[in-house]
Amino acid sequence: MSELTFTPVIGIEIHIRLKTDTKIFCACSTDTDAPANTNICPVCMGLPGSLPRLNHNVVEKGMLAGMALHCTVQPRSLFFRKSYFYPDLPKGHQISQCDLPVVADGYIEVHDAEGKLKKIRVNHLHLEEDAAAMHHSASDGRLEGASTSYVDYNRAGMPLGEIVSEPDISSSAEAVEYAMNLQRRVRYAGASDADLDKGMMRFDANVSLKCSDGRWGRKVEVKNMNSFRALERAIEFEIKRQKKILQSGGEVLQETRHWNDAKGVTTASRVKEFYRKFIVEPDLPPLIVNQEWIDRVTAMMPEMPDVRANRYVHDMGLTQEAADILTDDKNTADYFEACVKAGANPVRAANWVRTEVLRVLNEMQKKISEFSIKPEVLAEIVRRVDDRKLSTTQAKEVFDYMCANDSGLDDAVKKLGITEGGVAGNALVEIIANVIKANPDVLAEIQSGKDTKGKKFKFLQGLVMKESKGQAKPQEVVEALTAALKQ
Amino acid sequence: MELYELDLYEASKGIKDKKFSPKELFESCKKRIDSCEDKIHAFITRTDGTAPVTENPNGIFAGVPTVLKDNLCTNGIRTTAASKILGNWKPPYDATAWKYLREAGAVLMGKVNMDEFAMGNTCGNSAFGPTHNPNDISRVPGGSSGGSAAAVSAGYVPFSLGSDTGGSIRQPASYCGVYGMKPTYGMVSRYGLISYGSSLDQIGPFARTIRDLQLVMSVLAQYDPMDSSCFREKNPDFTHNEDASIKGKRIALVKEFQNFTLDAPIAEAMKKTQKVLENNGAVITEVSLPVVSKYAVACYYALAMSEAHTNLERYDGVRYGYTVNDAAGIKEMFERVRSYGFGSEVKSRIIAGTCLTEPSRCDEYYVAATKVRTLIAQEFIRAFGECDFILQPVTPSLPHKIGEEDEDAMKGYETDLYTLPVNLAGLPGLSFFTGYDDATKLPVGLQLIGPRWSDSEILNAGMILERHLGSPKIANGGVK
Amino acid sequence: MKLSREEVNDIALESRLLLTEKELDGAVKYINNFLDILDSFKELDLTNVEPFSFAEALECPLREDKVNAFTNTQGIFNESEHVDGSYFKVPRIMED
Repeated sequence: MSELTFTPVIGIEIHIRLKTDTKIFCACSTDTDAPANTNICPVCMGLPGSLPRLNHNVVEKGMLAGMALHCTVQPRSLFFRKSYFYPDLPKGHQISQCDLPVVADGYIEVHDAEGKLKKIRVNHLHLEEDAAAMHHSASDGRLEGASTSYVDYNRAGMPLGEIVSEPDISSSAEAVEYAMNLQRRVRYAGASDADLDKGMMRFDANVSLKCSDGRWGRKVEVKNMNSFRALERAIEFEIKRQKKILQSGGEVLQETRHWNDAKGVTTASRVKEFYRKFIVEPDLPPLIVNQEWIDRVTAMMPEMPDVRANRYVHDMGLTQEAADILTDDKNTADYFEACVKAGANPVRAANWVRTEVLRVLNEMQKKISEFSIKPEVLAEIVRRVDDRKLSTTQAKEVFDYMCANDSGLDDAVKKLGITEGGVAGNALVEIIANVIKANPDVLAEIQSGKDTKGKKFKFLQGLVMKESKGQAKPQEVVEALTAALKQ
Repeated sequence: MELYELDLYEASKGIKDKKFSPKELFESCKKRIDSCEDKIHAFITRTDGTAPVTENPNGIFAGVPTVLKDNLCTNGIRTTAASKILGNWKPPYDATAWKYLREAGAVLMGKVNMDEFAMGNTCGNSAFGPTHNPNDISRVPGGSSGGSAAAVSAGYVPFSLGSDTGGSIRQPASYCGVYGMKPTYGMVSRYGLISYGSSLDQIGPFARTIRDLQLVMSVLAQYDPMDSSCFREKNPDFTHNEDASIKGKRIALVKEFQNFTLDAPIAEAMKKTQKVLENNGAVITEVSLPVVSKYAVACYYALAMSEAHTNLERYDGVRYGYTVNDAAGIKEMFERVRSYGFGSEVKSRIIAGTCLTEPSRCDEYYVAATKVRTLIAQEFIRAFGECDFILQPVTPSLPHKIGEEDEDAMKGYETDLYTLPVNLAGLPGLSFFTGYDDATKLPVGLQLIGPRWSDSEILNAGMILERHLGSPKIANGGVK
Repeated sequence: MKLSREEVNDIALESRLLLTEKELDGAVKYINNFLDILDSFKELDLTNVEPFSFAEALECPLREDKVNAFTNTQGIFNESEHVDGSYFKVPRIMED
C-alpha cells in the first residue's frame, strides 16, 4: 500500500481597516486612540430610526485597495444585511456588500515551494462595517471563564474591506507571503495602514485537504488570527489535525474553528452561526461608480512595490535583494528615490538607505517620515564621498553625529573637526613630528638602516593617517614623512 | 366656536393676525383633549403639561399644536412604537420630519397610539391598549396610525403626522373622516422614523382640509441628506391654488377591482365621486392591473416581513429599552428581552420574515417577491401612461367594532388590497373624505393615487373634490 | 402544512424568541397560511425579471469624509441600564 499524500487547499479572507477620517455610515471619528464609547452616534449605535449614510472616501479607499490587488472596479454594487445576534452588532445585522462587491477579480503573486512565482486569485473586495470591540473580563482576556463582557462601540461602523481569495494557496508559507504582499500593496495604495497591532488587519482561513486516494476533506473555516505568525501556525495546525483525521479514515467536519494563540490550537466554535441569505439593505440605493471616478482613482494609484523593485534592478543596477528591501515600505522607497533625484549614485544611495538609514531608524524606533536627515542631505553626503571630500568612515561619523544631534551636514563636519580638503601642509607636518616624537625607538631603527622592508615606515605612516582621522592624502603623507625622517 | 375647532390654516393665520395667542389656542386644544381622551385614548405620552414654547414665532406653524405617531423619534421625549420592548426609551435625537415641523413653529402636544411597530390596521395591537374612533367610540379608528387620525378627527390638534407602510395613513384617515396623504416614496425623509418595512415606509400628514395637507407637505417635502432614499432633485410646489383644475384629466377605475364587493356606502361614494369628477371636466376611464390585483398582497407581506425581521433584530436590551439584569448569558438575555418585549403579532411577523429569508426558501419567497414587485411597479407605470389618476376605495368596508376579530386571519390582509400596492410601487396616495353614511353616521373615504411625484397634482384634485363633497366635521369624540 | 410546530419553534429560537404554546399555535397557523398564499408566485414567469430594489433609478448618495461628532452621547448612555463606567456591560457569552 502506497503512502497517502495530502494537498492543502487554502483560501484566505482578510479584513483591512480602510483609511478614512469617519466611519463607513456615520460622521463619527475613526480615531483608534479615543477613550471607549466616545465616537458613537444614533447610527453606529443602531438606535431605532437611524439610517446609514455611505462615506465617499470608504468607496475610494476600497477602490484603491482593489486596484492594488489587480482587481476591476464594478460599476454597480449593492449593500446587504447579514444577520446574527451578538452584542457587538448594534443592529443585529451587519451591512455588507457580500454578494455584489465594489471590486472583483484580481490576484497577488507569491513564491511556491520551488521558488517559482504563482498567482493567487483574489475573488473580490467588499465594503462592510466593523462590529464593536468586546473586552472579556477573565484575567487572561479570553472568553472562557469570563463572567461579563464589556462593549466599546467606537469600533462599530469602522470601515472594512474584506478581501476574499480563491482557494489557490497550498501552504502556510504561501499564505503568509500572500498576506504580507497584500499588506504591502494596500499600504502602498494608501488604502489602509493595515497595522496588525491595532487590529487593522485580521485573517480567517478556509482549509481543506485533498487526499491522494481521491477523498477531499470538508472545508474548515479558522477564525481569529491577528498576526502573520498566528496565520502560519493556525494553518499548520489545521493541516496536521485534518491529516490525522483523514489518515485514520475519519471524516473532517465542515465547521468554524477558533485559533487559540496562547495554546496554539484550533477549537470548534461553540457559537452556532446561522448562515442566512442576505436581504438587500433597503436603506442604501445601489452604489454607482462611473468611469470618471475610476479614472481619477486610477491616476491616484502609485507604482506598486514589485514594479518599482523591477525598475530599481533594471534601470538603476540594484540587486534584487536591495530593491526588495527598499520597496518593502513605500516611504522608504520614496526616500531612496528622492536621494537619487537629488543626484546621489543609486547603488551607493541604496546601500546608505538600507544599511545606515534603516539601522538608525530601527535604533530610534522612528518612521522614515519622521527622520531628521532629508533625502537631499543624504544625497549630498553620498556625493561628498564620491568626490573624496569625505572618506567613507568620516561620512558615517558625520551621519551618526547628525542623527544623534539633529544637526546639519556642514555643522557636523565642523563639529567633528573635519576640514574640507583634508589634513595637509603644516598640519600634516605637525602630526608627523608628534608621531616621530612619540616613537623614538622606531625612529632609531629606521635611521640605523635596519628597516629594509619598509615595515617600520608603514607603521609610522599608519599612525599619521590615524591621527589625521583619515583626512590626509596617502601620497602626501609618504612624501612628508620621508622628508621628516631625513632631517 | 372654540379655538380648537380651527383648522391649521385658520389657526396659523389667527395667531399671525394676533386674534388670539398661541397660549389660548394651546389651552383650548388641551381642554378638548382633556374632555375626550378618556373615551378615545389616542395618546401614549402627553407633553402638554406645560405651556408651549414655539421655536419659531415667525414660522408657518408658529404656535400651532400637533401630535406625532409614536414611531417618530423625539429628542428627550419617550418614543415607544407602541411596544413594550422600547420601555421608556427617550431618543437622543429628533426625527427629521419632526425637526422640520418644530423649526416651522409647531408645538408638540404628545405622542399618539399606533399598532405595535406599525404592524396592524386597527390601532388595537398596541402595548398601551386600543384607541377608539372619535366618530363612534365603539369602533376602531383604523391603523396603524390610528392615534394620529383620531387626534385630528376629534379636534385635539388641526394636523398630525403618521406613517404609511401599506395603508397606515390612508386607512385610518378614511375610518376617522379626515384627509391623509401618503407621499411618494423618497419625498419625505424617514430619518428618525422607527422602521417597519424600510422600502415601503413613508411619513405623511393628517388634516381636516386639503389646504392644510398642502401646508404640511410644503414643510415635510424637503431633501434630507440623512436619508439616502430621499430624492434631492425634486422640488414639489404645494402652494394652494384655488384655480387648479382637473379639466381633461383622465381618472381611471381599476378593471379587476370591479369584481370585488364593497359595502354599500363605499360603492355609493365611488359613484358620487365619479360624478363630481366628471362634472369638473375629468374623464373617467378604466385601467387593468392584473398582477397588482392578484399578487400584490402576497408580495407586500413577503417583503414587509423580510425587511421587518431585520429591522427588529436590534432590540436586544443592551443599549436601550426594556431589559433584564439577571440573565446568566447573553443568549438568555436576548431571548428574555425579545420574548417579553414583543407582542404576539410582531413575533409572528418576525418568524415569518426569518422563515422567508432562510437560505433554503429565500429564492422561492423573498427573491421571488422582489421580482413580483418589479412587475407591479411596471404595471403601474403602464397604467399611468393611460390615465392621470386612479380612483379606488381605501377599504371595502367601514370601520368594525373594537374586539370584533376577523375569523379568517387572511381576511385582514385582503382588506389591504386597495392600499398596499401604492407602497410597493412607491406612489403617492390621498385618502379623502366623501361624506357620512346615512345609516351609521360614519365617515366614508376614498383614495386617489397617481404616478410618482404627482403629489401636488393629487392634492389639487383633492381640493376640487373637497369643494364639492364638503369638508369633514370635527367628530364628537364620544362627548355628547 | 409546510412547516411543523417544531420547525416554527426552531425559527423562533433563531430569532431569539421563546414562544408560549398559544403563541406557537398562532405562529404555526399564521406562517403556513402565509406560505400557501405565497405559492401563487409560482404562477408567474419570473425568469427574466430583475429584482426590485428601489422605486426608480436612484444612486447611493455619498457623504463627505468629514468628522461631525454627535453631541448628545450622554443621551445615549442615559438609556441603557448596562452602562458600567465608560463601557456597556453584558452577561458573558454562553454558547449553546
